[in-house]
Amino acid sequence: MRLGLVLRPGEEAGDARAAEEGACALVAVATDRGGAFPAAAAVAVATRHVRIVVPVHLGADHPVTLAEDVAVLDNLSGGRAVALVDTGDLDAAAAAEDLALLRAALRARPVRHQGERWRVPAGIEGHEAPEAVEVTPKPVQVSVPLWLTGAVAPAVGPAAGVVVLAGGGVAADPTADVQPALLDVGGSEATLDADRDAVVALADAGATHTLLRAPDPTVAAPLVARFLIPEVGMTGFPRVVAETMLPPAWPGPARYVGGPEDRGAWRDGEVGA
Amino acid sequence: MRFGAGLWCLQSTATAPRHPARAYDELLEDAVVMERLGFDALWLSQHHFFYDGYCPSTVTAAAGALAATERLTVATGMSLASMRDPQRLGEECAALDARSGGRFELGLGLGYRDVEFDGKGVPRKERVGRRKDAMRAVKAAAPDVPIWLGSALPEAVARAGAHGHGVLFSGANPLTLVRDLAAAHREGFEGSDRGGERPRVAALRNVWVTDDPAERRAVMDWFRASYVLYAGLGWSVPKRGETAAMDFTREVDKALEDAVSTAIVGSADEVTEGLQEVIDAGVDELVFRIVIEGAPQPAVHEVLHRLALEVMPQLREREGVAA
Repeated sequence: MRLGLVLRPGEEAGDARAAEEGACALVAVATDRGGAFPAAAAVAVATRHVRIVVPVHLGADHPVTLAEDVAVLDNLSGGRAVALVDTGDLDAAAAAEDLALLRAALRARPVRHQGERWRVPAGIEGHEAPEAVEVTPKPVQVSVPLWLTGAVAPAVGPAAGVVVLAGGGVAADPTADVQPALLDVGGSEATLDADRDAVVALADAGATHTLLRAPDPTVAAPLVARFLIPEVGMTGFPRVVAETMLPPAWPGPARYVGGPEDRGAWRDGEVGA
Repeated sequence: MRFGAGLWCLQSTATAPRHPARAYDELLEDAVVMERLGFDALWLSQHHFFYDGYCPSTVTAAAGALAATERLTVATGMSLASMRDPQRLGEECAALDARSGGRFELGLGLGYRDVEFDGKGVPRKERVGRRKDAMRAVKAAAPDVPIWLGSALPEAVARAGAHGHGVLFSGANPLTLVRDLAAAHREGFEGSDRGGERPRVAALRNVWVTDDPAERRAVMDWFRASYVLYAGLGWSVPKRGETAAMDFTREVDKALEDAVSTAIVGSADEVTEGLQEVIDAGVDELVFRIVIEGAPQPAVHEVLHRLALEVMPQLREREGVAA
């Protein structure tokens, strides 16, 4: 199982850097609604490798517009976007339609949709309007992962073939290719044993990617790296490896600062004037 | 006087292809270079459903450029306000304003492509009302975010001035039109009893600093080619008074020549003189239109350097003397 951290609203960039340094596979933006994409874009700029889970609130806008936002984030992040689609206030039928159109708009095919809530193209403008629209830019990824959450997610997800975020009463499906989960943890040395048990239990239940929600991700990140990721990184992990007393930290800089492709380097004065 | 550059459209075109994600990397790199060189603002642009990936989400792209910088303003010229949920746009502007320390500015455009309205299910005839809704929502949620409007119609520009909004003019506008529009904006503001600081007049201009005859020819060719895009998009400017129409749909060649005739290309001193004329026409903020698809990133960086080191100081000095 792979682990990630939920980022605190307003602290996303710093939290995400801590998560990446803490070997997390993914981070999740928790700021919802209008704050979501600005926060996710800041995370994209602050990190290089972590997958960026961005909340996509159905009902907040046209599904094609939401898809465009996801696609731009995917390009900005070099193919690291994951859409956590929240069914919001929509009923099951409405959520199913919006989800279907959102997915269609993220595929590499022209979009044509005739539903109760949306018609794309609408057929209201232009004498020679095309019969379908191509939503651009295309995502960088072969396919942007879509995970579903919200009140009607369990009713909508399985029928649509979209995985539902486990946790909070929703069980993991151990047969799913990808089964994301959300888990509240203490994220401190004092709660380490309980956190370890909870993470292992989710792994046993079949989760593949778990987002840990801790009070302070910068405190949690080194503990996740040292104790939790190894724990679920192999069956029968020998805990002595993590719990042994290590020699003092290496003298000098903690990390090699790479070439011009390293954003950290050019922000610190390698490129430009 | 503020100095900006644009328009970052994040395209990968038929004639200047690149990996689409590379366009976003370059945006971040360019933003950092501009900030280091002392530019005030980077301007983005938006369209939907165009083959080359023309950026459909200026909010997300702006957030990236703002996160990569610390002092640079990032503005949209324009965001297509009629095609986004107004409440959401307001929340996004508030988030960008808070995250960036007040460095985000929002241009609200009407849009003009039928395929975009049709794709979003927005009746074209509602675009003015929808832009008003967007403006209201942004003012309520993010009152400190400056709002820019764009128009080539004197009465619309005067209304923008009367309401306290800045205006951004197309780089294709001849200087005569820029002068008339700037005057209309000023009169609109002064006739409104709004008081306070006069909202700004910004003008995109096709500009290139070079002493090399070959580069001079290349840049004129690519300026011309850059407007072929607008033929593809179906953009046009109606005839107004003494200013001829610019119709990229029906009179492509003439429109291209008219657009390119506004370009200011030459040595640093020549460009300074040309830009001074634009400033004298009543422009408070120059937006150099230097993102043209034929120019590779090193050439764009070179012209940004020359503008910052050889042209902007001269213009600032003259401004100081005039004041």
